Amino acid sequence: MAVSPTYVTKEATTNLWRNRLMTTAAILTVAVSLALVGSSLLLKQGAAKATVQWQNKVDVIVWVKPTAPVAQTTAVGSQLRQSPYIQTCQFRSQRYDYNEARTVVAPDEFAATTLADYPSSYRCTLVDPSQAPAVYQQFIGQPGVSEVSYPGQQIKTMQSVIHILQWVFLSVAIVLLLSASVLIFNTIRMAIFARRREVAVMKLVGATNWFIRLPFMAEGLIQGLLGAVMAVLVVLGVYWGLGLDVQKTAANQSSIIAQMALSGWEVSSTCIAVAVVGVAVGVVGSYLAVRRFLEV
Amino acid sequence: MIKFQNVTKTYKGTTVALRDFSIEIEKGEFAFLVGPSGSGKTTFIRLLLREETPDRGRIWEAGKDIGHLAKWRIPYLRRNIGCVFQDYRLLPNKTVFENVAFALEVIGRPKHVIAAQVPQILSEVGLTKKANNLPHELSGGEQQRVAVARAFVNRPLILLADEPTGNLDPETSLGIMRLMEEINKRGTTVVIATHDAGMVDAMRRRVIELDKGVLIRDQAHGVYGIDSATAAAGAGSPTGLALDVDRRPPSGPMEPLT
Repeated sequence: MAVSPTYVTKEATTNLWRNRLMTTAAILTVAVSLALVGSSLLLKQGAAKATVQWQNKVDVIVWVKPTAPVAQTTAVGSQLRQSPYIQTCQFRSQRYDYNEARTVVAPDEFAATTLADYPSSYRCTLVDPSQAPAVYQQFIGQPGVSEVSYPGQQIKTMQSVIHILQWVFLSVAIVLLLSASVLIFNTIRMAIFARRREVAVMKLVGATNWFIRLPFMAEGLIQGLLGAVMAVLVVLGVYWGLGLDVQKTAANQSSIIAQMALSGWEVSSTCIAVAVVGVAVGVVGSYLAVRRFLEV
Repeated sequence: MIKFQNVTKTYKGTTVALRDFSIEIEKGEFAFLVGPSGSGKTTFIRLLLREETPDRGRIWEAGKDIGHLAKWRIPYLRRNIGCVFQDYRLLPNKTVFENVAFALEVIGRPKHVIAAQVPQILSEVGLTKKANNLPHELSGGEQQRVAVARAFVNRPLILLADEPTGNLDPETSLGIMRLMEEINKRGTTVVIATHDAGMVDAMRRRVIELDKGVLIRDQAHGVYGIDSATAAAGAGSPTGLALDVDRRPPSGPMEPLT
């Protein structure tokens, strides 16, 4: 027997409203846990992206002390060009970085800096990206060189941080998802209890199991879905808030966030995953309650 | 229509509700099931509603062996059975009309069928004027009439009643019994579990008596108990003491009735 969707929706929304306090708790728990799941998915994808970029086009940056005389600076430059590891090298003057900072850094922070704060640097592409540490060994401590950095280093640190964050997020999310299921299970149980007379009469006059079950399951589904919608908003907030939507450009290429930039498709698939998990939690929680408390 | 063959039902393995119980009730019969509390009357009804399954023995109902009924078919079995209880089991927040209509809605009957059938059954039970009242605004007898209307609106093959007059005064009870009789006249098999002796004596219909789960009497035009039967015989009752206890073994599976 077909069950009318109008009937199911009407009954489900009536139940939700009758039990709104528990419903709110369940929805919020779903939202928080899914927001964590979604954010950790974003981080994971970002980290993978950054790793790929590093492997494709690594920049070793040799920072020259701002106080170094011109002769030392050019000596470093010629050594770099002679190094067998290096493919190309580009010199960036203090003025260049200073001007770039003007566009990137917040105006009040920028005002507190002077030209001398921006060391000039050599940005190099390597023949083999994995040899970055060797370049580091060669140039660190050279006269006039203040620091040798390669984004791979930053990315590796970032990766391990992200890795730990992911596990923390995911384990918290799993605990929260479990409690969300239990909360949904409980709201459905209360809804069934509140309607036990109707249910008893329905069984007595021969309503089918699915006719009795579906409104309660729809109730769980709606809770999961509403929680997922809130979580999707949080995920999008993280995406735009962190600037993960800004694709890598010449101006921001040294920024880790830019290395992690994600496409619209990647974000929407994350959101879809979040929505699917939300619906699944709602349906599973309510199905268990219905199985347990509605048997003929 | 209803046939029990050597049915035994125990609860938790110790309490015997029915012991090797066999009975046959034909289509269109009107039977009372009598006996003290705990004699197995309610178990009899629960077995017919397939709320319980027997430990041993077989049960046929409307031509089907309900012991081997798939779970998903149970609702369809129940659509052929109307059931009335001592406590009416009406939905307190629905009007009389809605209570009866609910029974049709939940089995997926279309709106126009509901709009036609509910007023008709309400007029049959004499509650047309109370259609928009809530159950608590009705007397006990009226509430039980609503329950009967709900049980019968779908024109079931069988009407079961578990102590339908347990909460009603004798006069009101008689009204309910007359209503059951009317329903029976339309061809529905009626089985009433009761310990309302006055009612059973007044109706002079088939009486099936249980004691501790055992069939002790099956009488065609019986009265409530042996004592009242004797009293009735002494008063010159036309049926007298015609105790025709039926303990014949069942004669094979029942014919399917449609």
